[in-house]
Amino acid sequence: MNMLFTEDQLTLAETVRDYLAGTHGPEVLRRLDADGNRDPAIWQGLVDMGLTGLLVPEAQGGLGLGLVDAALIAAECGRACLAEPLVDTAFVGVPWLVAQGKTDGLGEIVAGTRKVALSHQINPWVADGAGEALTSVDPLRHLSVHIERSRDTSAPGPSTSLGTSDEGDDHLLNLGALMSAAQLVGLADAMLSQAVEYAKIRTQFGQPIGAFQGLKHQLASCSVAIEFAKPVVWRAAQALADGLESAGVHISHAKVAATDAAMLTAETAIQTHGAMGYTYEVDLHFWMKRSWALAGAWGSRAFHLRRVDEAVLGGSLPIGPEHTFA
Amino acid sequence: MQLTYTPEQQAFRAEIRAWMEANVPKEPLVTLECREGYDQHVAWERTLASGNWGMVTWPEAYGGRGLDLIQWLIFEEEYFRAGGPNRANQNGIFLLGPTIMEFGTEEQKQRFLTPMAKGEVIWAQAWSEPGAGSDMAAISSKAVRDGDHYVITGQKTWSSRAAFADWGFGIFRTDPDSKRHKGLTFILFDLNSPGITRRPIRQLHGDTGFAELFFDEVRVPVENCLAGEGEGWNVAMATAGFERGLMLRSPGRFQATAKRLVDLYRQHEAEASPAAREAVMQAWMAAQAYAYNTYAVAAKIMAGGKIGAEASLNKIFWSELDRSMHRTAMQLLGAHAELKRFDDGSVNQWLEGYIFSLSGPIYAGSNEVQRNITAERLLGLPRVGAG
Repeated sequence: MNMLFTEDQLTLAETVRDYLAGTHGPEVLRRLDADGNRDPAIWQGLVDMGLTGLLVPEAQGGLGLGLVDAALIAAECGRACLAEPLVDTAFVGVPWLVAQGKTDGLGEIVAGTRKVALSHQINPWVADGAGEALTSVDPLRHLSVHIERSRDTSAPGPSTSLGTSDEGDDHLLNLGALMSAAQLVGLADAMLSQAVEYAKIRTQFGQPIGAFQGLKHQLASCSVAIEFAKPVVWRAAQALADGLESAGVHISHAKVAATDAAMLTAETAIQTHGAMGYTYEVDLHFWMKRSWALAGAWGSRAFHLRRVDEAVLGGSLPIGPEHTFA
Repeated sequence: MQLTYTPEQQAFRAEIRAWMEANVPKEPLVTLECREGYDQHVAWERTLASGNWGMVTWPEAYGGRGLDLIQWLIFEEEYFRAGGPNRANQNGIFLLGPTIMEFGTEEQKQRFLTPMAKGEVIWAQAWSEPGAGSDMAAISSKAVRDGDHYVITGQKTWSSRAAFADWGFGIFRTDPDSKRHKGLTFILFDLNSPGITRRPIRQLHGDTGFAELFFDEVRVPVENCLAGEGEGWNVAMATAGFERGLMLRSPGRFQATAKRLVDLYRQHEAEASPAAREAVMQAWMAAQAYAYNTYAVAAKIMAGGKIGAEASLNKIFWSELDRSMHRTAMQLLGAHAELKRFDDGSVNQWLEGYIFSLSGPIYAGSNEVQRNITAERLLGLPRVGAG
């Protein structure tokens, strides 16, 4: 029993964080939003770090790491509001393909030449797929109503689809929900940081607005929500990695907790920014909109709450102090 | 990350479970907040000690079992699974004990820890003063050095357990010219010392658990000072860290409440609102989240880390969780919520628990102060008010 990340895990996450902070700042989001002009070097950098092969077995040229490692990196992708399909391709698609024994295309995924769009009945549309387009509130999220099967494309953009998974494929649903939850805690962290930085520099009544308890207490409440959502996400990742029968319940718990933390933080962050927060100029909106999108993707809050409810009130999950890791 | 128990840990769990099932009183004890209940709870402390379960993490030399924090968590889980009573000596074992372990001399450890673990000496805390509540650095009770004694004069209040306990601890101003956090010293004192007057305070529920303490030239030997003279603030902050960050409220307590709440919901499902159902789910989820976080904190400490300002997040979380779980129970109980005893004669533990839960966001540093600490020390927002 040891609920700590290894030094290696933390170092990798920090490396990814630094890389994204250096190459994928808000100016990249703005440029993409303005003209869709994608810098292929960003994706290539992720590929060069081995992230596309993070969950690919070593025998197929990947790093052979696990879902906890991937969840940590997914949180970093959320923190950076990453506009590349790394999480879907490498942290949802790959483990699903591996579990299905569909290992043929893994080499291309590792090499970064194949990106994956995911279709599942829980989602009414596909992110980064090809097909009739829908417009998301998240300007960097490309949605389509349906996808073409096995459409090979080269970067930039979408992508090879997995095809529609079997109806009710819980494994794919769990992977998608888990990695959404991980991104949401990263997004929430980033929104809280943006709000805190603004509260330090914006002065009113002769002092930084962050000195006022009215703001401090709201931002502290976000911190509570985020810090108590994170261990739920990590626990859920480990439960899925360990193949626990209850993994789905814990992933649903993680999705609810991460969604609530991100939604609270988004609303508090815009409030902290005042009228500035209501503009397109302040970066915050990219993170808020990604949060709103992920909150509904891979199962709504109501869906996941119901899964928890069915297990807890339904009695299939043992509860009580002695069942912390049931 | 490795979230399974070893065979040794599982065997340890089985050992505690068997002992608890054989020894935990079948009927709930009378509330700790009155003479009769206090005596029952002290007797329970001694029963626990007879099984050597007083404080499992302490070294054997001081009345413990020398176990690690994961084993402590397993112990606590089994303790609350079995419905173990509240710990009469929680101020001692969870707050002062770890503080003595960190700051005490060998002589002090020998003298104080074993009787604490064995339930022979029950401890009260004496932090607050009438003019120093949330603003604890405003402490004005004085301890004046006179030879090998301090002479204490002043007043403490809201002293948990002080109505009945044996010993107390708190910080006192030893440097009369000092201000705020400086010039304070952490002192342990016998509550039966000449010059101490205890005035029990009747609490919201009508019973008496805490008290005011009046010090009128109370002589306390200098060797009862913990760490150095003038070090009191730092020592008190370490105590507060243990209190808020880990030990005072182990997760088993809240997981047990969440489980009881699920059972209560099932009994009242027909008339319950959808909102109550969701609140019950939130209770289970939050209690689990708290448990995961505590396992993470324990692992961090075992790896050589320390509890920092994040202890404030912890305190906010458990205190508001406890209040919200009991509020939900009161809603589910409807007209029965007001009954002190149900029709079958059993005590309405939900009502008692709800009333007690209202003190959670106040004691151990109010949640407003915890949110200030979070904002200033974790998030880095500017400080306000007196430093």
